[in-house]
Amino acid sequence: MAKVELKINGKQHSFDVEDRTLLVNLIRDHAQLTGTHVGCDTSQCGACTIHMNGVAVKSCTVLAGQANGADITTIEGMAKGDKLHPVQQAFTECHALQCGFCTPGMIMAVSGFLKDNPKPTDEEIYRGLEGNLCRCTGYINIVKAVKQAAKAMSK
Amino acid sequence: MDQHQHHSQLFKVGNAQVSRFEDMRLITGNGKYSSDWNAPDQLHACFLRSDRAHARIVSINFDKLRQIKGVVGVYTGADAQAAGYLRAPSFLPPTGKGGMKARVPARPCLAIGKVRFVGDPVAMVVADSHLAAQDACELIEVVYEDLPAIVDPEEALKPGAPQLHDDVPGNCPVEAESGVEAPVMEAIAKAAHVTKITVDCTRVTASPMEPRAALIEYKADTDSYVVHTPSQGVNMTRKQFSTYANLGEEKFRVEIQDVGGGFGQRSTVYPEYVSMMMAAKALQRPIKWVSTRTESFLTDTHGRANLITITLAMDNNAQFTGMRVDWITDQGAYLSPTGPAGHIRNATTCMNGVYKIPALYGHFKVVLTNTGWVAAYRGAGRPDIAYAIERAVDAAALELNMDPADLRRRNYVPLNEYPYKSATGSTIEIADLPGLSEKALTLADWSGFEARRAASAKKGKLRGIGMSAVIEPTGAGTAPRDEIELTVNGDGQVTLHTVSHSQGQGHETSFAMVTASALGIPVEQIKVKQGDAERSVTMTGNHSGGSRTMVGAGTVCHIAANKLIDAGKSLAAEDLSVEPSQVNYAKGEFSSPHSKKKITLAQLAAKKKLSVIGEGTFTSTYPNGCHIAEVEVDPETGVTDIASYLSVDDYGHIVSHTIVEGQMHGAVVQGLGQVFGEHIVYDKDSGQMITGSFMDYVMPRAGKLKSIRMEEYTTLSKLGPLGIKGMGESGCTASLPALVGAVSNALGVRHLDMPLTPSKVWAAIQQKKSHLGNTH
Amino acid sequence: MHSFSYVKATSVKQAVDLLAANAEAKLLSGGMTLIPTMKARLAQPSHLIDIAGIAELSGIEVKDGKLTIGAATKHVEVSRSAVVKKAIPALAYLAGHIGDPQVRNRGTIGGSLANNDPAADYPSAALSLGATIVTNKREIAADDYFQGMFATALDAGEMIVKIVFPVPAKAAYEKFPHPASGYAMAGAFVSQHGKTVRVAITGAGPGVFRWTEAEAALGKKLAAASVESLNVDASNLNEDMHGTKEYRANLAKVMTKRAVAKLGK
Repeated sequence: MAKVELKINGKQHSFDVEDRTLLVNLIRDHAQLTGTHVGCDTSQCGACTIHMNGVAVKSCTVLAGQANGADITTIEGMAKGDKLHPVQQAFTECHALQCGFCTPGMIMAVSGFLKDNPKPTDEEIYRGLEGNLCRCTGYINIVKAVKQAAKAMSK
Repeated sequence: MDQHQHHSQLFKVGNAQVSRFEDMRLITGNGKYSSDWNAPDQLHACFLRSDRAHARIVSINFDKLRQIKGVVGVYTGADAQAAGYLRAPSFLPPTGKGGMKARVPARPCLAIGKVRFVGDPVAMVVADSHLAAQDACELIEVVYEDLPAIVDPEEALKPGAPQLHDDVPGNCPVEAESGVEAPVMEAIAKAAHVTKITVDCTRVTASPMEPRAALIEYKADTDSYVVHTPSQGVNMTRKQFSTYANLGEEKFRVEIQDVGGGFGQRSTVYPEYVSMMMAAKALQRPIKWVSTRTESFLTDTHGRANLITITLAMDNNAQFTGMRVDWITDQGAYLSPTGPAGHIRNATTCMNGVYKIPALYGHFKVVLTNTGWVAAYRGAGRPDIAYAIERAVDAAALELNMDPADLRRRNYVPLNEYPYKSATGSTIEIADLPGLSEKALTLADWSGFEARRAASAKKGKLRGIGMSAVIEPTGAGTAPRDEIELTVNGDGQVTLHTVSHSQGQGHETSFAMVTASALGIPVEQIKVKQGDAERSVTMTGNHSGGSRTMVGAGTVCHIAANKLIDAGKSLAAEDLSVEPSQVNYAKGEFSSPHSKKKITLAQLAAKKKLSVIGEGTFTSTYPNGCHIAEVEVDPETGVTDIASYLSVDDYGHIVSHTIVEGQMHGAVVQGLGQVFGEHIVYDKDSGQMITGSFMDYVMPRAGKLKSIRMEEYTTLSKLGPLGIKGMGESGCTASLPALVGAVSNALGVRHLDMPLTPSKVWAAIQQKKSHLGNTH
Repeated sequence: MHSFSYVKATSVKQAVDLLAANAEAKLLSGGMTLIPTMKARLAQPSHLIDIAGIAELSGIEVKDGKLTIGAATKHVEVSRSAVVKKAIPALAYLAGHIGDPQVRNRGTIGGSLANNDPAADYPSAALSLGATIVTNKREIAADDYFQGMFATALDAGEMIVKIVFPVPAKAAYEKFPHPASGYAMAGAFVSQHGKTVRVAITGAGPGVFRWTEAEAALGKKLAAASVESLNVDASNLNEDMHGTKEYRANLAKVMTKRAVAKLGK
């Protein structure tokens, strides 16, 4: 068993979990934050994307132990009170989600790469979305939302 | 929407602005999908699955499971036998060709005696944690006796092929017909030109992003079950549970919130869920199971898997005189609820496509193979028949050295001949393909293509253009009617209940928009609820499939709102001291010029119960469209870029442009996925699935289709008061032939079967080069 | 996943000692390959020794014409490093095209080279540039290090500490990503060192290899046209539903040509 202490969305947590526990299971089952989703087993779909120490990672491919001491942000920590994060706002305004299952991972991935590249070109947006699958939208409105969010965040 | 950009709708939720009501919870991580449901004291299930395609089960040994702490129960086919959970619900035409009696194979919830595809569930372990259940599953020892496996549907039909089910000789549950054969054969015999083409509408998988999951609770006091599992409609789910488990529908309540994509894959009650019922009842504890993506690939219902041969007869004016369709539909190892019957019915309804074809004959062979089962997938036969017809028309144009647009023009059913009675017995309500396709051809600058081809050639790229003209039936359901319940609360908020279930289509928004518009009140005042456990039992309605929901339940929102107004008038009459006929209603307020009194919806509802159930029954509407794609192929790598994509569609009346555009984007890209990469492939010898993860199954990604120019060309349906046509699937139907046509055109070949992977396209270019090299 | 014990190592010595003491232990760096493999229950290590936080394994520096990168350096760090961009921009480009952003935020250069996936990107850079793989025990030349599919010269208990790349005159990388996984279906890393040109191909075969005919031709004239008449021997290449041997041979050639064309820029 491993003792894992970490901060999630600003709140300090301590868990005793099996060593083989994945970060995503710690978040979903132990911290009971079910906004982070699991969509595959091979690190392809990105539905589990969260921020670990400010960086977008796939929480299905991180052991809980590896995250010991980390500062985690999940989708539930993105809005400040009732003020949506600009990426969240852009996703709804551009109709960049339908079923919504990939959406938390998408929002975390996008807000992650916009930190490093606040003014991405279209090609850079496609590459930024390479780690995330969506089955509903055809991505067209997601790309639109990324552009709108980038614009909003650069203001 | 490059030219006619619709402003996206925005609604207020608290202090936030959203374009759909469901968005608020989904973008903040507050959605609730099936794997998010938990119950106190729940146990976790894990399934041991067949690792081979076809084998007899000799023995199953559980001795080693004692090593694993936390294992509570193990279930096998013997338990399925004892429970009587032996036949998955499925529908076939009861009699086929020449009075042939349909033969539906059994599908026990856990394999009995034999496994028939890789992934077939053999045993279920239930433990106090998911990890323990997984560890335990690995320790079960199954001794198999391998049998020869068959994964190719044509091979499976041959004499001497391995037989999957003793009671389905020849691996053929039914051969069905539509239309009449003799006149078609006569047309072919007399034709000036006959085009024959076989197209493989490949096997794909829906891959909604939410993997399957279920939480099943047993209620001892009523000997009934509460089910939480992704569903396209709670009534359909209850009905299938009832059939599978031989229990009354009243024994099942379905309680769900968000469903992470459907595309037909959620219209099946799977054997895992029924297996879990056994454990829930035996152990008197809730049972939870969440599928891995690998399990999804193996065991979710697959889509398409149809091999279609078209024989199209033409006279010397290139007018179609008859068409024969020979169709082999591979259904996998067992029959699903929506598989064979849906494919045959939908293909039959629109067997003439958008064309006047006086004689039609379809011959369908349903086949079983040692592969995953097949069900409805975004269109369920509609894209398949449209794809086959449109590829045949392109091939005919090539053979006749005609412009494919011109060949289509000569054969469209003209507007004045609608409602059109097809040779397979359908009455197709309304469409105007001559007008619609001219709009598309003009907007796409069809006639200016050669200049663009030359410009691409200068860059070393092969440019091609493809068009599709398609129509499909949407809206008809299987439930006797669609119901919508509207209740006005004391604060003036209106609660709307439905048993259809959104898997992402945004019913909470579009239903609210229809209702608000009829009631003349702000859309924010309507609260749409779906997946309510109680109403899953008391209300009636279709599931959301076959693009039917806005035609059915959506239209009933309007009908229910008007019924609510009428009911309100009766109730308000007393307060307004007049007769109901003297009450007027507008914008949330009842008034009477006679008594000069008024009362608001809220005031009335605060005093009296104001609640109605509206209902309606609908047959098919016929959305149609013309899509034109241009592609550029890199001859060095075989990579196809989509240079432009235009859609002109007739959706009837549009409730929400935002949602319709989103559906079209998603559907076109889902078609594009099948065209360029998606393909479920089994190894011919071992029957193992080669494409069992996103590492090999090519999902479309951002950037493959950069934009769609979407245009409308509307004829209204008179089926309902709003003129709506269902449109959730039509983008998929139109994109397959347009894109395959464009690539074939770029390469200068008659036809290439999907998927048009870079490798396949490159090989076709090489073949063409060497062919040219030989002839010059 | 099977059960295992997770241990966080703080020094190379501690990690190596733990490896020596546990025959079934494995090193865990970014975990981008190992964790999915374990999730599929295809690997069953007794211990995972997390080396990501070991200070000795980090750092990027250029000295005496050599670029040294610590084994636990993440792809994202290599792709953004000003030092790498200045010394060997093609290496930064390569690192920036591995997997996807989330994978690059976790995966490491040492992990990639130790795993030696036949479709990984880094092996082509290491082989083309003639890198030296420095382990806790010794220095291994790239030409000796890669030994076919998932096979390397590393002994049991040996771990990569850093990688030393000679700075070339010019270098470029081009890859054709697998349409589903994003791994290289074929990637060509071309580098020029004085008069010598080295071409390493990844993804197309069972392991990274040098295309010596192209090297000879490009050594005479460094232009894409020099490889036009050459063909990669297809007989030993990979074949699957995503591409025949011939297609992969073609991709290797096309990627080489495109990398050479980029060199001049």
